[in-house]
Amino acid sequence: MGSPAVTETMVETRRLKKYFSTPKGPLHAVDDVNIFIAKGETLGLVGESGCGKSTLGRVVIRLLEATGGSVLFGDQDIVKFDKNDLRTFRKRAQMVFQDPYSSLNPRLSVEQLIAEPLRIHKVYPNERETSVRIKELMDTVGLAQRLATSFPHELDGGRRQRIGVARALALNPEFIVLDEPVSALDVCIQAQILNLLQDLKDQFQYTYLFITHDLSVVRHISNRIAVMYLGKVIELAHHLEIFENPQHPYTQALLSAIPIPKLDIVRKDRIILEGDVPSPVNPPAGCRFYGRCPSRQADCLEETPELVEIGPNHFLACCHPGAITAQKQPAQ
Amino acid sequence: MTQHSEFLLEIRDLRVQFHTDTGLVKAVEGLNFTLKRGEAVGLVGETGAGKTTTALAIMQLIASPPGKITSGQIFFDGKDILTKSEEEKRHIRGKKVAMIFQDPMTSLNPVLTVQEQIAEMIRLHEQVTNKEALEKARAMLQLVGIQPERGPDYPHQFSGGMKQRVVIAIALACNPQLLIADEPTTALDVTIQAQVLELMRELKQHFNTATILITHDLGVVAELCDSVAIMYAGRILEKADARTLYGNPQHPYTQGLFHSIPDLTKNVHRLNTMPGLPPDPTALPPGCCFAPRCQYADEACSANSPDMTEVEPGHFVACFKIQEKNGRQAHG
Repeated sequence: MGSPAVTETMVETRRLKKYFSTPKGPLHAVDDVNIFIAKGETLGLVGESGCGKSTLGRVVIRLLEATGGSVLFGDQDIVKFDKNDLRTFRKRAQMVFQDPYSSLNPRLSVEQLIAEPLRIHKVYPNERETSVRIKELMDTVGLAQRLATSFPHELDGGRRQRIGVARALALNPEFIVLDEPVSALDVCIQAQILNLLQDLKDQFQYTYLFITHDLSVVRHISNRIAVMYLGKVIELAHHLEIFENPQHPYTQALLSAIPIPKLDIVRKDRIILEGDVPSPVNPPAGCRFYGRCPSRQADCLEETPELVEIGPNHFLACCHPGAITAQKQPAQ
Repeated sequence: MTQHSEFLLEIRDLRVQFHTDTGLVKAVEGLNFTLKRGEAVGLVGETGAGKTTTALAIMQLIASPPGKITSGQIFFDGKDILTKSEEEKRHIRGKKVAMIFQDPMTSLNPVLTVQEQIAEMIRLHEQVTNKEALEKARAMLQLVGIQPERGPDYPHQFSGGMKQRVVIAIALACNPQLLIADEPTTALDVTIQAQVLELMRELKQHFNTATILITHDLGVVAELCDSVAIMYAGRILEKADARTLYGNPQHPYTQGLFHSIPDLTKNVHRLNTMPGLPPDPTALPPGCCFAPRCQYADEACSANSPDMTEVEPGHFVACFKIQEKNGRQAHG
């Protein structure tokens, strides 16, 4: 599964910003994010609640309007798309939502739910072809045909999420944003859905942006992983590189905090961060992580670190990556 | 009584049922369980396994109607609490057995200050003046890592992790013998979860309180618990000390559960999944409740329900196949 040397870019964001206005001032949900997703890869996006990962996922396919910056699909900037362009674009990029309990209309049956995108985009001239496609989609995502007339409340969470996936696949998209698609599911069902997503990708060469807070899931499914903190992507690298050689102090703390279901492995020293994630409303200048950073230094507040390449395909936004490595060395 | 000395809690053949519109839900079905003084046990299972119902039965908080404890005994400190009067139950609840609920956002009273909520618990169970209760409340805040000066603040002024600390302070205020924590960190982010788990570990050493940790997360159990009980469809299928259970899980369900979790130390393309779903609690299968999904099951498994047997010292499994295998080994 190694990533090919020369890759074609599917999506690229440049200085992408999304601010929400609140009574206390602008909330910087996504702030100057520059990332790219290669064709056929799965980019995992991790972070804690409120870090802006879902907002980023939505701005990237323009379910939310960007405040600034651009989102490039090939040479087209989707931020500038008008209504007609956007309609065509919807066929190329789709989304699977977190909660299969609230993202499906409870009054529509399974076949009606899957038919919705096909009807809206008038993909097939008649009902017969539409229903053939619905059957095919149900097979693809592993829903038994007998469930076609069932309603969401009659189904368990795993099957509901399969409907969500079928709806996203209906228009043959190239790019799918998956926003916490397995977080509401029990581990056994979660494993079934993760396998389904993996199989679909193998079969149809989709590009995924996989948003999650679950670090073991993201390691399993991603080719590369981007770590977000308070509206910024602070580290981005190959999925094993992030886990084996994390450079940002936040990434290090985040990884050390994962409870591992094993007793026999010697775990590295756990880094327990002080305090909570600060408010993204009117964030201070300088590094966003300063307040909780175990290796902060005075000049970290002077300027906001940019995401720069520190090794092959390893991007980092930290003013003192050297300081951290130097600190770590004696212990190893 | 002889059992007085050994076990703090002993549950025998507990059955809890709920009358609903769709039928009789058998939430807990013949549960046997013991807990030593000072022992921390993880009660692990998927949604609907009956974990929370078991906890509520111990707390005597099953809403009736629709719920009812139809049979069984719950010995706490050698005495069956099911036969006690409402007055006596009130004395046990909160004072001797305390519970932490999953969602700290909803388990605190929004219109009372946090110190008042802790003092309420102390006043209810101890002979103290108002002033003494408030002093003790502030001392409890200090103990859970909140500055006592924040006592007069209201719950909405605290973050999720801090609220859960307040809930822990309330639960431990009267120094209970048994603490039941129902998914105490599930609603929290991973770095905050690490803080709360660290606190719970310290408090466990400080108070030596016996703990039942209810969770679906085998990683969290590995952090805190001495022993583990795996629950499925209202029964316990396997119980052992943590080292044995993590190192040598025997029941096919326990093995399946471990395989469903993406492993942070291995790279696999697809996860091993268990087929099917947990049984409908209104129509539990005859015999072993896991038989319909079990790859080793035969007719005997569907005919009778296996009892827990000790396969090695302290390691109990409810599975005919494991018992057969061990029987064969024992007889050469």
